[in-house]
Amino acid sequence: MKKVLLVLPSYTASEEAAEFAVRRAKEEKAALVALYLIAAGTADDVFETFSDIGFIGDRPSSQVSEAIMKEYRQRGYEELGKVQIKTMEEGVAFEPLMEAGEPVEKVLSTIEGMGITTAVLVKRKERAILRYFQRSYADEVAERAPCEVIVFAGGHGPIKEEKKDVKEVD
Amino acid sequence: MSVKIDTRPIWVLLGLKALRPLFFITLAASFVYIIGMPTPEGLTPEGQKAIAVFVVCLVLWVTNVIPLAITSILAIVLVPFLGVLSTRETYSLFGNEAVFFILGAFILAGAVMGSGLSTRVALYMLSRFGSSPKKLVMVIFLLSASLSFFMSEHAVAAMLFPIVLEISKSLGIRPGRSNYGRLLFLSLAWGCIIGGVATFLGGARVPLAVGILNEMTGRTIGFLDYAVAVFPLVVILLLLGFFILTRSFPLDIKGVEGAAEALGKRLRALGKIGYTEYAVGAVMVATVLAWMFLGRRLGLSSIALTSVVFLFVLKLVRWKDIEEYVNWGIILMYGGAIILGSSLHKSGAAEWMVNGVVGSWATSPWSVLLVFSLLALFLTEGMSNAAVIAVLLPASIAIADKLALDPVLVTYAIAVPAGLAFMFPMSTPANALAASSNYISMREMARAGIVVNVLAWVLFNLVAAFWWPLIGMGY
Repeated sequence: MKKVLLVLPSYTASEEAAEFAVRRAKEEKAALVALYLIAAGTADDVFETFSDIGFIGDRPSSQVSEAIMKEYRQRGYEELGKVQIKTMEEGVAFEPLMEAGEPVEKVLSTIEGMGITTAVLVKRKERAILRYFQRSYADEVAERAPCEVIVFAGGHGPIKEEKKDVKEVD
Repeated sequence: MSVKIDTRPIWVLLGLKALRPLFFITLAASFVYIIGMPTPEGLTPEGQKAIAVFVVCLVLWVTNVIPLAITSILAIVLVPFLGVLSTRETYSLFGNEAVFFILGAFILAGAVMGSGLSTRVALYMLSRFGSSPKKLVMVIFLLSASLSFFMSEHAVAAMLFPIVLEISKSLGIRPGRSNYGRLLFLSLAWGCIIGGVATFLGGARVPLAVGILNEMTGRTIGFLDYAVAVFPLVVILLLLGFFILTRSFPLDIKGVEGAAEALGKRLRALGKIGYTEYAVGAVMVATVLAWMFLGRRLGLSSIALTSVVFLFVLKLVRWKDIEEYVNWGIILMYGGAIILGSSLHKSGAAEWMVNGVVGSWATSPWSVLLVFSLLALFLTEGMSNAAVIAVLLPASIAIADKLALDPVLVTYAIAVPAGLAFMFPMSTPANALAASSNYISMREMARAGIVVNVLAWVLFNLVAAFWWPLIGMGY
C-alpha cells in the first residue's frame, strides 16, 4: 500500500499542505502518515539564554524549557488531531507520529522505515540570499529522500524547487 | 545508509567551515597588533594592554561565541598576565562588595522561588484580580514588574512563563494568530524588564555598576537612593508601556473564564500556605527593609549574606536547593567585569579613550547623559546588560571626572538604560521566552519594542533633568 507522509514542524503551519496531503492520499488510495516535528532546539536555546545570559540556576532554566516542550507536544496533538479529522472525512487511513530532535534525520528515517512514497513538507518562507548560508530541513530532505517530495512554504502553498525529484504542484 | 551531499557553492561551504577558527585567529591577531603597535601619546604601556584586553572582551561579549562568564575569565587571566594590574590586586577585586551582594540576592531569590512563595503570590494575584481580558493582561504586566522589584527579572520571567502558557491554553487562543496571545507574553516580558530596573534586586547590573563606581571613585549609591531616583521613570514607563501594548495589539477576546478556572485549580493544588513560605517571606521582607534603612551603615552585601545565614539557621533551604537555583558563573562574570573596569581606570586607558574619542562632543553634562544613555540603550539590544556596563562605565566615569560631573549620575545613565531592552529575543531572557512561545513573532516584538525604547530614552533624560534636581542629584 502506498503511503503519503505529511511533516508538520512546530514552528510553522500550513493548512494547504495538510489538505493537499489528504487529497493526494485519497487519490492514490494511500495511507496518510502525519509526523509532528518538535523543534527541540528552541527549548535548548531558551535554557542556554537563561543559564548563560540570565545566570539563572539549572532548575528554573530546566522548568522553562520543559514548559516549552510540553506546550509543543500539546500543539502537536492538536495539529495531528486536525489532520485526523480531515482523513476521517475523506475515508483515508491515518497514522500519527510525534518526534523531537534533528528534523532531517527524523524525516528520512521515517521515510525509509515506513516505505513512504510521497512526502509533503512545510518550511518557513525564506529570503533568497539566506539560502546560501542556511538550509531548511525541507531542502535537505528533498535532496536525500528516496521518494517524491513536495515542499510548501509556511501557509503560502507549494513552491517550485529546481530539482528533478521534487515536484511542483499547481 | 544515505550519503549527505551539500550542493551549495564551494566558497560558501569553505567559508562557513572556516568561520569560527578565522574569527579567533583575527581576534588574536588584532590583540597582538594593539599590544605591539607604538604606544600613542598620552597613553601608558599598561593602558595600551588594558585597551587590547578591553577590545577582545568587547568583541566576545557582543558576538557571544563563548559564554559570557568565560570571556570574563579571559579578562581575569589577561590583566595580570600582561602586567596591567598585579596578580594580587586582580584577584582581590573579587572581594568587591557588589559580587557578594549579587550572590546573596540570588540565593535569597532562589529561596523565595524554591519555597513556592513567589508562585503562590502570582497565582493568587492573577486569580483575584484578572477577571476580564484587560484586567488579566494588566495583572500579568504589573505582577511581573512588582515581583522584579524584589528578585531577578529573569527568575520572575522563568517562574511566570508556565503560568502564562497555561492561561493562553485555557483561553484556547492560537499561537501567531491572536492579539491576546501577543499581549499576554509581551506583558510578561515588558513587565519584567521595566520592573527589573526599579531596584538593586531586579538584576545584577545595578550592583555591578555600583561596584565599578566604588572601585574607581570610592563613591557608592544607596539601595533606597537608587529606588527613589528611578521611581518616576518606572511608574511612567509602566503606564506608557501598558498603553502601547493595548494600542499595538487590541483585545480580541471577550472573556477569561477558562483562565480563572485553570488558575483556581493550580492555586488549590498548592494547598495551604506553610511555615517555610511564611518564614522565607519574613526573611525577604526584613532583608529589603534592612537594605533600605541600614544599607549604608551595615553594607548591602553584609545584610544579604546575614539573611542567607538565617535561611539556613531556620532550615528554610538546603544547600542542594541553592545550587539548583543559583548559577555560579555569575560570580566570574561580575568579578571579571569589575577587574576589566578597574584595569582600564587604573592604567589610565579609560581617561585616554575619553580624551581621544569622546573629548570633542562631550562638552556639557547633559550631552554626556544623553549620549551615554543612548549608547547603553542601543548596545543592550545586542549584548548582555552586564557587558554593556563593563564596556561603557569606565569611560563614562573618566569623562565625568573631566567635566567635574558627579560620577554617580553617569553610573545611573548607563546602569538604568542597560536594563531596558525591549526589542529582540537575544537582548534579554524575558524576550527570548516570549518569542519561544510562538505567540509573538520577532518582527512584532521589534516593532512594538522600538517605540518603548525611544520613549524610555526620552523619559530617562527628562527624569534626570527635572526629577533628580528635586532630590539633590542635579547636574
